[in-house]
Amino acid sequence: MEQRAHFTQKLEELKMQVLRMAALSEKAVHNAVTAFFENDNEMAESVIMGDIEINDLENAIDKYNLELLALDQPMARDLRFIVGTMRITVNLERIGDEAVNLAHRAMFLSSRPPLPYNQRMEMLADIAKKMVADSLKAFVDEDTELAGEVCEMDNQADEMNLKILKEFINGMVAESRIVERGVHAIMAARHLERIGDLATNVAEAVVFIVEGEDVKHKCRG
Amino acid sequence: MARKIKVESISLDFYYGDFKALEDISIQVEENQVTALIGPSGCGKSTYLRCINRMNDLIPDTRVVGELRLDDEDIYTSDLDAVSLRRRVGMVFQKPNPFPKTIFENVAYGLRVNGVKDQEFIDHRVEESLKHAALWEEVKDRIQTNALGLSGGQQQRLCIARALAVEPEVLLMDEPASALDPIATQKIEDLIHELKKEFTIIIVTHSMQQAARVSDRTAFFYMGKLIEVDDTQTMFTKPQNKQTEDYITGRFG
Repeated sequence: MEQRAHFTQKLEELKMQVLRMAALSEKAVHNAVTAFFENDNEMAESVIMGDIEINDLENAIDKYNLELLALDQPMARDLRFIVGTMRITVNLERIGDEAVNLAHRAMFLSSRPPLPYNQRMEMLADIAKKMVADSLKAFVDEDTELAGEVCEMDNQADEMNLKILKEFINGMVAESRIVERGVHAIMAARHLERIGDLATNVAEAVVFIVEGEDVKHKCRG
Repeated sequence: MARKIKVESISLDFYYGDFKALEDISIQVEENQVTALIGPSGCGKSTYLRCINRMNDLIPDTRVVGELRLDDEDIYTSDLDAVSLRRRVGMVFQKPNPFPKTIFENVAYGLRVNGVKDQEFIDHRVEESLKHAALWEEVKDRIQTNALGLSGGQQQRLCIARALAVEPEVLLMDEPASALDPIATQKIEDLIHELKKEFTIIIVTHSMQQAARVSDRTAFFYMGKLIEVDDTQTMFTKPQNKQTEDYITGRFG
């Protein structure tokens, strides 16, 4: 019989729970983005409602991890896996929150005339979605190279967010009628940029788990 | 700041007859640090520990190859005799082994065999040693009673006091807490933290958690070889070697 089979099984169960939570957070981002661009209020509602499940899973995983630490006294890679998944779930929960925020912007804007300059917003949304997807793929495959790429993508997200901000400020200066909508759009861009930041944190946790290196606050250009 | 190297082995081999129990062990033990030796049963960690005060000399047909230095002096080739060596390198064993004498006489024993006659000096040293071993407060009113009346944890601290009485420089501990309950274990571990201020400690332990809690450096032995030695913090969070990783995460051993 494999040594520590019982504990290994518990770690597998932990991984499954994190993946379940990851799937929900990733779906929340996708749906919030779709709701935003397609003025789909029903979908925005579903994102807001769905956050409860993400929060509950975070609590459950926290409790599970605390028990693993107390009862199994993990060491080395096992310890890093548990600490790393705790970091990951904190960030997944926040990704869910940002998706909810985005859904609120979507609901506000859906009943109003469409804004111009959506092209860059779509590009930012694509970057944010890819960062979330890649950070999770990096976790599943323990792929530190891909995790590094997520960190690099964060620069693109930041730049795109700034461009959107400037674009809207210029637009609002030219035409005051769009100010209210413009502010909401700027906030939406900010939510997407934050999702990128949080995905970067997930990627950093993956590097920590696999290599034992703490790259927090280091890997961004 | 680099600490002084108190004990050092250089390519040490050890044989029981033809059986090579230790192979090419090179470790540097720094002064005033706690070094833990871990590894599965039969890996050579206790054999290594016993090389440091030549306890293995008592076993017939054993042989040491390589160097084992105490303060830059090779303890196997220098003039240092085993008795003087063991005064400088004290030892505490797994099972508390007090002599069937009074508490006082247990601690005074080492002084007496070393020819100390000054009773005032002996009284003073016994009290100091018992205080050092965090036992004084518990036994000061019954110091002339038989040591075998003490609890297991107290007996072990008495053995530590006995080892400390001759003012050793290095303290070897061979699973000093494995026969004790958690509270007594905690006391021994607290004591180790205190003692390292004055002594250099090398401890063999089967409890990974204990090694993690008490030591500054950890050495992992496997099948007579030193697999990895590093700062304890690194060994238990990010070991370099796969075998170390597997052992400390409980995947083998």
